Amino acid sequence: MISRQQNILAYSWIWIVYILMYLPIAVIAIFSFNSSEIIAFPLQGFTTDWYAQALTDGRLLGGLKLTFLVAIPTALFSTILGAMAALALTRYPMRYRFLLLVFVLMPFLIPKVILAVAQLILLADLGIGRSLWTIIAGQTIVILPFTTLVNASVLMRIDNRLEEAAFDLGASHFSAFKRVTLPLMKNGLMASWFIAFVLSSAEYVLTSFLSGREQPLSILVASDFRFNVSPALDSIALMLVLANIALIGFGEFIRRRSQK
Amino acid sequence: MKRITIGNALSVPVFAAVAALCIAPLAILFAYSFFSVSFVAIIKDPTFKNYARIAGSSTYRWLIFKAFLSGAGIAAITAIIGYPVAWFIAKRVTIYKSALLTLLLVPLYTGDLVRIFAWRVLLGAEGVLNSLLMWIGLVDKPIDALLFSPLATHIVLAYNYLPFMVIGLWLAFEALDDRLLEAAQDLGAGSRSAFVRVTLPLTMPGLIAGALMVFVMVVGDYLTPQLVGGASGITIISAINDLFGTAFDWPLGSAIAWTMLAILALFFALAAIVISRSTLGKAMAGGEA
Repeated sequence: MISRQQNILAYSWIWIVYILMYLPIAVIAIFSFNSSEIIAFPLQGFTTDWYAQALTDGRLLGGLKLTFLVAIPTALFSTILGAMAALALTRYPMRYRFLLLVFVLMPFLIPKVILAVAQLILLADLGIGRSLWTIIAGQTIVILPFTTLVNASVLMRIDNRLEEAAFDLGASHFSAFKRVTLPLMKNGLMASWFIAFVLSSAEYVLTSFLSGREQPLSILVASDFRFNVSPALDSIALMLVLANIALIGFGEFIRRRSQK
Repeated sequence: MKRITIGNALSVPVFAAVAALCIAPLAILFAYSFFSVSFVAIIKDPTFKNYARIAGSSTYRWLIFKAFLSGAGIAAITAIIGYPVAWFIAKRVTIYKSALLTLLLVPLYTGDLVRIFAWRVLLGAEGVLNSLLMWIGLVDKPIDALLFSPLATHIVLAYNYLPFMVIGLWLAFEALDDRLLEAAQDLGAGSRSAFVRVTLPLTMPGLIAGALMVFVMVVGDYLTPQLVGGASGITIISAINDLFGTAFDWPLGSAIAWTMLAILALFFALAAIVISRSTLGKAMAGGEA
């Protein structure tokens, strides 16, 4: 059915696509260690100065702290809401199931700039000043579709009969949930928290509209990116990539463990 | 307590959160689209003036058309690149399947800004690609057109959203029963005819789902055209952004935003109809019907 030639073609295509996917990341990795102000070939030599420079920048460290202050509660809220949505969608019969699905997907389908300006008008009309809390509220809702998906993917694999067995043994709904379903959901919840954390820390558009005077890291980095491209920024970019990949990898590891 | 009561109770906070943080803002945005602005004050007398202005302005008409054209173009490009990739992951690998899927998604988690930064480093006039080409002697002077051009914008957009297309297609390929292809072959279909008459129709829901995701994200993308598009980076989304910022015309910005939402909703409705009529869609809707 598939000839040898087609097979070689398929393999080369996959290799090309995957190499291109990682090319930009590889490039920033290489040049963050290059000892030249200019990001260009030929390479000059090895240095870690750019990292030292980035890690001692007080302004960026302040932004990083704010990013944590936003991302930790955002990840928590969106994970709890996402888990509730996933439970309602997959485990419990309910009246407006399709409507709930539409509601959960909606923040993903609306262009972020439009959602952001809409939230901005609402805040202005209600007379609420912009603060870290407005960023948290806005981000929680755009991350909700992702946390719902992660939790639903775990819940769909849990055998319904386990809960039924608990009922047969006399457990109430609450204790069956607490002692059977929740422990099985735990890894999904943790994975969802990590993914939400990463999405929150990387979010720019919504954050820029909803932030007041306190500006998280993504806003600071964006304004730097806009005007210049320097090796120090390059090293920040690589550190962000590695931190995000480490968090996601850890989350995935936990989620995988639950499927064995 | 009945299970349905629990299900309803669980969904209430989710409904409330989306209503408060997504639907209410959009409703107010809709109301604003009928207001007007005079100097720095917003006049709350209903008027269709803003919509008339959009319809009458060739600039806004062109920007709106350009946004949807880009969305459709990138959806088509990612479909062509991603189709073999999705097929490969679903049908040709077993042990490496989850590794390939994870590797596909990892670049997404690096964040828009970092990815765009990386492309600027790569494509800039004094950037990596140009300096490499000059170093090995392929060109004498840097190619300026690489960065800050529509080409650069479209390369980065395709790069950004390819994983979403592959995921949509991959799901469809996983659901595709190989025996159908064997049957087609037994009945004398060549590989081309089997593809056109079996594989393509059966993966269509995944293609539509992937295309819709890519389409909506390209239409709504703000950062990519801004940061790598240069002068071509003016989009309808950046126009909305400006009207809410420096230009201070919230009502006009709201009207443009709602025009975009209405057109997008039309596409969603069409896609939902096509997907729900397909077999995969019926299987996914499952218990509801």
